[in-house]
Amino acid sequence: MYLSSFTFTVVLLPVVLLCYYFLPERCKNGFLLLCSLLVYGWGNPARLLYPAAFLCFDYAVGLLLERWKQRKAPAAAVLAFSVVLQAFVLIQVRYAEQVKTNFLFPFGIAVYTLLGLGYLIGIYRSRHAAETDPQKLALYLLFFPVLYAGPLTDYAEFRKQLTSRQRSLAGLSEGLATFIRGLALKVVLADTFRYVFRELRQPAEMSMLTAWLTTLAFSMYLYFELFGYAEMARGLGKCFGFSLPENFSQPFFAPSVTAYLQRWNMTLSLWFQKNFRHFLFHERRSRGFRYLGLVLMWGLIGAWYGSKPQFLLWGITIGLLLLLERLVLSSFIRKRYVIGMLYTGIVLQFAWVLLFAENMADAAQIWRAMLGFGNGIADQYGVYFFTSYIALLLLGLYIATDLFRNITERLMRPGKLQAVWKPLIHGGLLLFSLASMLYGERVTGLFLKL
Amino acid sequence: MQENREHRRMVLVVVLIYLVILAGTARAFVPSAFPKPTIKTMFNGVWALQLESYLQEHLGAHDVLFQLKSRTDLLVGEKMIHGVYVTDERLLEKLLAEDVPSAAEAAAPVNTFYTETGLPTCFVLVPSASEIYETTLPANAVNAEQSTRIQQIYSEMHSGIRCVDAYNVLSSMKEDYIYYRTDTHWTNYGAYCVYQSAIQKMGFTPVPYQRYVISHLSTEFRGDLYARTLYDGVKADVLDLYSIEDGAEITEVLAYNGDSVPQDRSTMLYNESALESDDMYRFYLGNPAERLIIRTNLDNGKKLLLYKDGFADCMVPFLLQHYSEICVVDLELVGEDYLTMADPSEYTQALFLCSMSSWDALWG
Repeated sequence: MYLSSFTFTVVLLPVVLLCYYFLPERCKNGFLLLCSLLVYGWGNPARLLYPAAFLCFDYAVGLLLERWKQRKAPAAAVLAFSVVLQAFVLIQVRYAEQVKTNFLFPFGIAVYTLLGLGYLIGIYRSRHAAETDPQKLALYLLFFPVLYAGPLTDYAEFRKQLTSRQRSLAGLSEGLATFIRGLALKVVLADTFRYVFRELRQPAEMSMLTAWLTTLAFSMYLYFELFGYAEMARGLGKCFGFSLPENFSQPFFAPSVTAYLQRWNMTLSLWFQKNFRHFLFHERRSRGFRYLGLVLMWGLIGAWYGSKPQFLLWGITIGLLLLLERLVLSSFIRKRYVIGMLYTGIVLQFAWVLLFAENMADAAQIWRAMLGFGNGIADQYGVYFFTSYIALLLLGLYIATDLFRNITERLMRPGKLQAVWKPLIHGGLLLFSLASMLYGERVTGLFLKL
Repeated sequence: MQENREHRRMVLVVVLIYLVILAGTARAFVPSAFPKPTIKTMFNGVWALQLESYLQEHLGAHDVLFQLKSRTDLLVGEKMIHGVYVTDERLLEKLLAEDVPSAAEAAAPVNTFYTETGLPTCFVLVPSASEIYETTLPANAVNAEQSTRIQQIYSEMHSGIRCVDAYNVLSSMKEDYIYYRTDTHWTNYGAYCVYQSAIQKMGFTPVPYQRYVISHLSTEFRGDLYARTLYDGVKADVLDLYSIEDGAEITEVLAYNGDSVPQDRSTMLYNESALESDDMYRFYLGNPAERLIIRTNLDNGKKLLLYKDGFADCMVPFLLQHYSEICVVDLELVGEDYLTMADPSEYTQALFLCSMSSWDALWG
């Protein structure tokens, strides 16, 4: 069940919140786990087999790693085996999803695989101890707000919150507000951009305008979908008394690809840095080896996003761009903000094509069109969508900037007036989000299979 | 203190919205539409999808929310609601060019019928309002082209089949009220204009327009395009009834569905109860039936076999002035089984009348 579905937003959410607030303290974690199982197993309880297997495996391996703390070699072997095994299952599941019809994708698998591996690597590197209470580990792996793309938390941090967290009216109100904002980002903005993107993706050759509009609509769609989900997760977390980290921080108009990615899916890149790059390619290694680690890390992030080979290529491209900036461009860009911004925007638009193209030939065709070698400068289709959606695209770009964030933060500060219109604005947003859900096509899936 | 008040209000607002929406959903509960879970659908994800669709369609305050969103979209720059272009004058369906059969494939059903039965056959493809009023569409709007497509299909027809150029007839009349503003169908007047050409091709003299007495059944008709968009910024339509004083009278109406016993509608061609429903256009030929046999008191031995979609509904009364019996086969209900629905040897003429879009949908 997706958080942006009617089943969740309209039916389950009020029931869950109501029960949660009236249950005695000691039952709360158990209740959250039950809700998580319901959300993950919705539609097909058999899907729960995957998380159940992952949980048992991680729990047992965690205890084993704890016991073998002093024996590094066997512990490393067990850890390597776990990583390979879980990655293999993830790849298999994604492959099955592509070739089999009617395959019910166990959603969230990419997320709980990462969380589980992070947990095991954490024990191996003595960041935290192995969990002895399976319920706590289960809740960490399957905490339902983060089922689609996070934010990913550290086990040590999450466990602290599992045992002691504050429940307050302020938390509930802030949580609801954050959830509503996230929902609006997803169903109002992301879904509209998805519609524009899908309408513009015609089999016929594109004009330059259409190609740029397509990639722009896609990048905005992906951003607002992931950002919206992360905000919904943070909001739900707050309602239950958890404090989850921010996952996106207005990346658009960043002056370099490096700066852009520092604000893009932050907890994910942090996870790969902590558990992959700093683990295997740490500071003591040679410089060339560390650079290789950077490129490989982004390749892995790309592969985590999706199973098509273009995703891997996207990741490696990003890694190479980062390397290029670090070695050559950084001093040049730092002094020229506008040039840096334009360069980042344009280069990334070209990179996004890899994520949505059917294959490399398709991607090449879109790139050609973007450079003006396609079906002319503008065609009827492009002009129609440009005139219909320019206002919304500009609004989306504005919302994706720091400017908007600063204004909203200033407006949301507590005060006499805010106490009146802040609830009203959020109520309006909730109604408009419900209207958008009802108006749009049915929720049948999200772009990334995570 | 201030902050606490803010938090209380926030929670209160959200709770209130939920109460209104949930109460509305419960009030509008439709037991027949609510998906029933079975062991199978619970385990293959189908029930979850059905439940989601049910909630989407039957959520409390559905219409208000739908209008809130579609009106905002129009304000922001969108010119279309759920595949329907919104113009000042009328609602126009967006015509799609995807998944249409080739001209030869689209011509095949009529050609097959003609070669197999040898019955004198006439073929009318009716363009959509979006084609006739193409110039009033929003600038750069993408819309599939129909007039050339109709010509292409006609050029594939067997030389013995008579084709009626409804496009030219209608586009020369486009200043008149020939299509509804809020419905995909044509008006009685649009149907009459094409009837004039068609009936001449079938060897009759059309009944002059002056002989008809026109009365308004409703001036508040909002059709299928309104139902899709809930957009009431376009003037409501007028539903007319054309009656003729001393013309042929209906003696029998039989409706067949499946193999069951026919439903005897006595002499009731029109369906008065439709005027009280959401779909007033149903007035003309009543509830859809796979096959409808209409007999008149004319004794000229002329019998027509009519294969049609909804466009023919308001033309049937005009045709009835020339035949002692018309057998109406609803192509949208029977699809590819159309050949088995009636015995052509019992009829003297055949007419295929369909809108271009449903013809493509039928054989695509």
